[in-house]
Amino acid sequence: MNSAVLIVDDDPFIRRLIATTLEDVAGFELIQAADGEEALALADESKPRIVFLDVDMPKLNGLDACRALREREDLAGTRIVMLTAGVQHERAAHDAGADLFLTKPFSPLDLLRLVDELAS
Amino acid sequence: MEVTQRERVLEEELAGLRARITEVEAQAAAKEQQLERYAADLRETFKQERERSAQLRDSYITTVRALANAVEARDAYTGKHAERVAAYGLALARALGSRLADDPEIEFGFLLHDIGKVAVPDAILYKPEPLTEPERHLMERHTIIGVQILRGVDFLGEAKAVVRSHHERWDGNGYPDGLARDDIPLAARVFAVADTLDALTTDRPYRPASPLCASREIISSLAGTQFDPAVVEAFGGVPDGDLERIRTEIQ
Repeated sequence: MNSAVLIVDDDPFIRRLIATTLEDVAGFELIQAADGEEALALADESKPRIVFLDVDMPKLNGLDACRALREREDLAGTRIVMLTAGVQHERAAHDAGADLFLTKPFSPLDLLRLVDELAS
Repeated sequence: MEVTQRERVLEEELAGLRARITEVEAQAAAKEQQLERYAADLRETFKQERERSAQLRDSYITTVRALANAVEARDAYTGKHAERVAAYGLALARALGSRLADDPEIEFGFLLHDIGKVAVPDAILYKPEPLTEPERHLMERHTIIGVQILRGVDFLGEAKAVVRSHHERWDGNGYPDGLARDDIPLAARVFAVADTLDALTTDRPYRPASPLCASREIISSLAGTQFDPAVVEAFGGVPDGDLERIRTEIQ
């Protein structure tokens, strides 16, 4: 399995924040996408180990992107972490096939621990 | 009619702009909350880090004390010599106005100064008669052996200078390197005075302890030969009460 982390959020600030936080943490290559469509294209190329998926995004939203990723057999080992804006999304994230979710605003320490755990 | 049409268009535009402003404000608020979360985590991490480093310092000092006590366990009469000397040494360093006193490594060095004595046979260490030349040579090797024992312990840093040079003399007649004056590390020069002070003010099998004022006179008379005059001068400024407290509290 590849050692890439794909960060998908339409807000470049959040993408950069997550990327900066995870830089050098577990030797992952950090890839960024601004919407669901771009995420699927990049996932195709890089076969990421972990995907962080924002829920609210233009073009293809996070839940639909999650379902699409889950249909891919070659990505069966990919762990999907949904970035949710609150409890109302948790159920939907779970139903869409997300492994875990992180509620915004997220704790950077939680983010680091989670990646540490998924990496090992 | 036309006016109403225009008004409607403007109103729609206005509503669109208002919605856009609300959206931008919501995004800005979300960013702000996210940053606050980072700040909160940073604060917690910093607090934990500070706590952990205090704990670590604590374990270092207790480990070093245990080691120093192990060295002294062989020597019934010196009691807590190393702890007392360390306390005297720190009081002296503070009186000198030196930043040595803030450096934990220096206290470690004071505590561990005689660790090399573990390699000196009892027959020599406790020989009541004067030592022969080869015996004296072996005894003096405890400074170098001490440094060898501590060689791999990084956190001791400057402490090793005390272990090596604590028997050097200001006039260059000490050992193991025959260093003189400023070539002797300051911590070792401070230690030399503290060590003699403790020896003089402690009962020994062959003589009772000297009173503090007599000990002060003896130490003053050795300024410029055995001791750094600046350290002896600083020692003169340490109040009797401070020294008495160390002597009675660390037994």
